[in-house]
Amino acid sequence: MKFNHESIEINSGLMLVLTLLAISIGGLVEIAPLYYIEDTIEKVDGVRPYTPLEQRGRDIYVREGCYTCHSQMIRPFRDEDMRYGHYSLAAESQYDHPFQWGSKRTGPDLARVGGKYSNAWQTQHLNNPRDVVPESIMPSYPWLLKNDLDYSDIDARLRALRTVGVPYSTNDEEYAANVEKFGVEVAEMLDINKAEKNLLAQAQSQNWDGDNTRLTEMDALVAYLQVLGTMVDFTKYDEGYFAEFR
Amino acid sequence: MAHGAVAADTQYNYDIIKKFAIMALVWGVLGMSAGTYIAAELAFPFLNFDIAQITFGRLRPVHTTLVIFGFGGSALFATSYYIVQRTCQTPLISKGLAEFTFWGWQGGILLGVLGYMNGITDGKEYAEFPWYLDIAIAVVWVAYFIVFVGTLRRRSQPHIYVANWFFLAFILATAILHIGRNIAVPVGLFNTSAYGVYSGVQDAMVQWWYGHNAVGFFLTAAFLGMMYYFVPKQAGRPIYSYRLSIIHFWALGFMYMWVGGHHLHWTALPDWTSSLAAAFSILLLLPSWGGMINGIMTLSGAWDKLRTDPIMLFMITALSFYGMSTFEGPMMSLKSVNALSHYTDWTIGHVHSGALGWVAMITFGSFYHLIPRLWETRIWSQSLIYVHFWLATIGIVLYIAAMWVSGIGQGLMLRAFDDYGNLAYTFVETVTFMHWPLVVRMLGGMFFVAGILTMVFNVYMTIRTAKQEQAAIEAKIAAKMAKA
Amino acid sequence: MFEWLSSMENTKPLALVIFFVTFVGILFYVFTGKKRSERLESYKDIPFLEDEQSDKLNKKDQDNG
Repeated sequence: MKFNHESIEINSGLMLVLTLLAISIGGLVEIAPLYYIEDTIEKVDGVRPYTPLEQRGRDIYVREGCYTCHSQMIRPFRDEDMRYGHYSLAAESQYDHPFQWGSKRTGPDLARVGGKYSNAWQTQHLNNPRDVVPESIMPSYPWLLKNDLDYSDIDARLRALRTVGVPYSTNDEEYAANVEKFGVEVAEMLDINKAEKNLLAQAQSQNWDGDNTRLTEMDALVAYLQVLGTMVDFTKYDEGYFAEFR
Repeated sequence: MAHGAVAADTQYNYDIIKKFAIMALVWGVLGMSAGTYIAAELAFPFLNFDIAQITFGRLRPVHTTLVIFGFGGSALFATSYYIVQRTCQTPLISKGLAEFTFWGWQGGILLGVLGYMNGITDGKEYAEFPWYLDIAIAVVWVAYFIVFVGTLRRRSQPHIYVANWFFLAFILATAILHIGRNIAVPVGLFNTSAYGVYSGVQDAMVQWWYGHNAVGFFLTAAFLGMMYYFVPKQAGRPIYSYRLSIIHFWALGFMYMWVGGHHLHWTALPDWTSSLAAAFSILLLLPSWGGMINGIMTLSGAWDKLRTDPIMLFMITALSFYGMSTFEGPMMSLKSVNALSHYTDWTIGHVHSGALGWVAMITFGSFYHLIPRLWETRIWSQSLIYVHFWLATIGIVLYIAAMWVSGIGQGLMLRAFDDYGNLAYTFVETVTFMHWPLVVRMLGGMFFVAGILTMVFNVYMTIRTAKQEQAAIEAKIAAKMAKA
Repeated sequence: MFEWLSSMENTKPLALVIFFVTFVGILFYVFTGKKRSERLESYKDIPFLEDEQSDKLNKKDQDNG
């Protein structure tokens, strides 16, 4: 049979296959290499998975849709460097499921907001942004202070994250690997068997939301915000080091 | 004439199309109102009222889901079921399965948006549905695929008309994108949370492979299918060039999948990926404009129709906005432009020139053609179509202009330095600057919502009149019978 | 052979050439040949066939009536 474009136009099966072919190439070429090209994620020390409390805070960050107004991705420009700090590395979000780079800055970037403000400021700001920034257009989140933090499923959450590749440990072998990779202190935090204990201990370790008698959603969210962008010690690396990976 | 249409009606399955068309309008009103409300929240933050369910962060996915999947999706189901039956001259292969796609789709959207308001979300833009709805939607989509392809295979006409190619590509691509984006591990069988398999930089690339192709195939290819049928029908003359449509189809399908990375310029995504995406974004201008020209030139020699036919006005305006936003898009994918535009309202304006100008306008035009035919009557008011057209057009122009001002303005302010090399503005100063553009944007949204409300009223009256006419005819026949 | 292919400097121009040739090939195929062109263009009337049919049906009805 002679092949011409009508062969496709009269055969829905052939058209399906060819369309599938045409639309598959682009995605494959751009996504697959990101998994095997080694330079995609920078080699850098300090980046670790979130602690149980931080992860719960992150879940709340996702729940409230913070990513609809705040990015977590600083670009390598002079103004962004002055405003937010060192540009973001791929390594810094390697344990983020899902990533929260965002696409819009109705509010400022949060990639390095950790440590920039006090816990008290963060709490007050989340409770009513206009108390501290009169011109702010951010919604108030008073319920974060009222809602008790639900941590009943923290084991299951960390287990699910472990399944998708975050190195939380369930046994001695994995724990030992974490000790080697992150040190004892962090490895302890990543032990799923101690997740609840660790969460409660971290909640008590600081005065996150100003009231240590209760464990609220605010505690978790502030703990998460305060760790953002603080894991890598940039003084340990040359100016040009990270440029090699771009 | 009316007689012939009745004969066709008993043959084709119009019932399902009517349902989808009505739901498209319902979701359209709700989704666009939600959009206008969150626009108002940005201009006047007290509107968040400290109620968790209606804060911007939770309502924004409600808005995008309702307009993209509710309004757009239902409109596509309606028109694709109509076009595939009419161009294949065969009824849908399965009434039951088509019915299932209707209830499945509407149920998924309703549960989805109620969930977002109550904090159940995956936190991935345009893919916020939780894992169990992802599975349900995938099942519905498979049913849609079976109905559509099954009907195609049963056609009495050997040739598959070009509009159906676009729908086919849309159904196929959406399935791949939906499944590819949403592979996740649920926290538990009775837990609404799940964690996706991708993380960080890979998750970002998958997100924009998904996100931009939701635009490319859901909001472009499929609506081009709509265009390739309804523009020729309304103009009363065949598409300008069938050969151009062949090129258009293959080039568009092939190239779109490459361009998602342009959402990640200057980020931690490797440079080669976003540069490649930018190169394809610029190439994409060619097939896009090929399609636009094909649509517009269909009218060549019948330009006078623009003066007498408001439906044609919708269609030509839609094609013009399609041309405009497919020019603006490649421009914004240039790294130097993107450095300014990214993260600002410029992007929001660009999306809406496509979403309101192209997607919504071509849908309105097609619906004004479709609805009288479904209910076998004439549109209730021709002048209300003109009213709708002008409300919508003014709304879009206000919207886009406001977003240019606020986006470019904020971009320039954020990168301004004073004489000493310090930052000239704090972030919150740009927020203050954006207040008035945001108010104007809200007004633009209100115009657009007012437009679709006039349409809803017009359609309601049309259907009511149709039913009255039907009843009158039936009464006449009954009277005749009684006499005999 | 595979080594040559997996090096980015070679894959890029090769892919470009393949895609470009395919594109030009399709263009050439679609827009040349008078008969082929006429045949391809004939399909654009499909959306109007349904009207003819229902018109025919109509006429039959009228004739009978």
